[in-house]
Amino acid sequence: MRRLMRLLSAYVWRQFLEVMAWREFVVTLTINQAITPLLGLAVWSAALPGRSGISTYYVALLVVQLMTVSYEHHTLSNGIYAGEFSNDLLKPHATVLPTLGMNVAMRIWHLLVGIPLIAALVLVVGVSLDARHSLLAVPALVLAAALRFVFTYALALSALWTQQAHWVVGFGETLIFLLGGSAAPITLFPEGVRPLGAALPFRAMLGFPAEIASGSLSGAEVLAGYGWQVLWLGALTATAAVVWRSGVRRYTAVGG
Amino acid sequence: MRLLRLFGATFSISLRRQLAFRADLAFQALTTVIGVASGLAALGIVYTQTRSLGGWGLGEAVVLLGTYQIVSGVLATFIEPNVVWFAGQVTSGKLDDVLLKPVPSIFLASLGSCAPLGLTQVAMGLAVVGAGLREMDAIPRAYNLFGWLVMLSAGIAITWASRVLLASLAFWAPAMELDVVYGAVWQFGRYPVSVYPQPVRFALTWVLPVAFVSTLPAQALVRGVGPALLLLGTAIGAASLLVVQLVWSAGLRRYTSATS
Repeated sequence: MRRLMRLLSAYVWRQFLEVMAWREFVVTLTINQAITPLLGLAVWSAALPGRSGISTYYVALLVVQLMTVSYEHHTLSNGIYAGEFSNDLLKPHATVLPTLGMNVAMRIWHLLVGIPLIAALVLVVGVSLDARHSLLAVPALVLAAALRFVFTYALALSALWTQQAHWVVGFGETLIFLLGGSAAPITLFPEGVRPLGAALPFRAMLGFPAEIASGSLSGAEVLAGYGWQVLWLGALTATAAVVWRSGVRRYTAVGG
Repeated sequence: MRLLRLFGATFSISLRRQLAFRADLAFQALTTVIGVASGLAALGIVYTQTRSLGGWGLGEAVVLLGTYQIVSGVLATFIEPNVVWFAGQVTSGKLDDVLLKPVPSIFLASLGSCAPLGLTQVAMGLAVVGAGLREMDAIPRAYNLFGWLVMLSAGIAITWASRVLLASLAFWAPAMELDVVYGAVWQFGRYPVSVYPQPVRFALTWVLPVAFVSTLPAQALVRGVGPALLLLGTAIGAASLLVVQLVWSAGLRRYTSATS
């Protein structure tokens, strides 16, 4: 385990430095990732003016969004299409490590680039963050980050079967946008749909930590949310492992 | 006329090329349907909590979303396939190929190829506009329809001009690739500009004229438009075409090619 962590740290550091070479592009990616939370903030502030918690929720959601971004359809899927995936398969460690290293490095970059925007929002829209709620949201944020990586990784593995992996991941992202708490906080879903929204994995990947941070959940709801996160993380990790095992047998590459 | 014939021939070739990949066709159609449906669903959730968003009712906002989808479809079909990652053409010298052909370079560089399957989004947008009008239980007056078409044309002209203008930045700053940012800012057109707080609203109307893409055409259709705004829209559309020509020419004077 310690060796695995050392290797992962090395990959994260190496890829963090690699990304530094095209940091201007990361700025544009960060702006792109920030747009949906900002749109949500503007729309819901206009729809429900004066409603407490909306600003705090969407600023927290922006932080979660930047810390859970996943580009495995670019890193993993494109590597499979180009045959570069062979390099990872030949290395004497878990194949997921380089992809995970890039994922963590990109998230760090997104957060670093996003800090001025987050700070400006905190000043402009008036965010009221409670220390207890913020601390309670940290484990949820870690679980959300893990969950979103596993989800995107599993979808990106579709590149082993089809040329449409970008579409498959794009479809997953649409679901996260719609049902994860970006288009609307789950707490504002129509009553009949709300329990379903709370139970699906998309909220666990994005909206749940922001809901805790904005103080919109009761103790029981927080516990239930953590339960769903752990459950979905187990289920999606098992799914990703099955997809990986059956997909890797299909992989072929030309060249050498 | 010659340019129109060339445009038609390009469209025909691109369509035949795209139809050869049937799986792509199915995925493209499905992507469009899902994109439009998710936009409608997001709007639907908002209107379960309120009756008015920035002064717009549900039907009006749906008309606006449909108008946005129409212009997005035009952008995806005719403009984006040519100018996406345009800086690469400038730095690699591939733009030479465009400059050597006996056609205005701005036409060939920005409209020289297309992705006809993007028109599915235009069709979906028209259907959404129809659904919005149905929700409002309104049949638009002929003048409103005329105003919508004029403002939509102005919006499309502004879209083309702004996208080419952004691509032209590559002549001065080839390292600055803002394609992703354009796509991000474009998303603001999904909702009426009155939703955004004032400095942002001003910027989205006069600096990055997203308002002309969806809000103003939709407003013309559902609420009517005065002759002054109609003239202003037409003038801004025409001015944007002129500005982009000037900037493109100035940019070309800086282009030195990268090949021998």
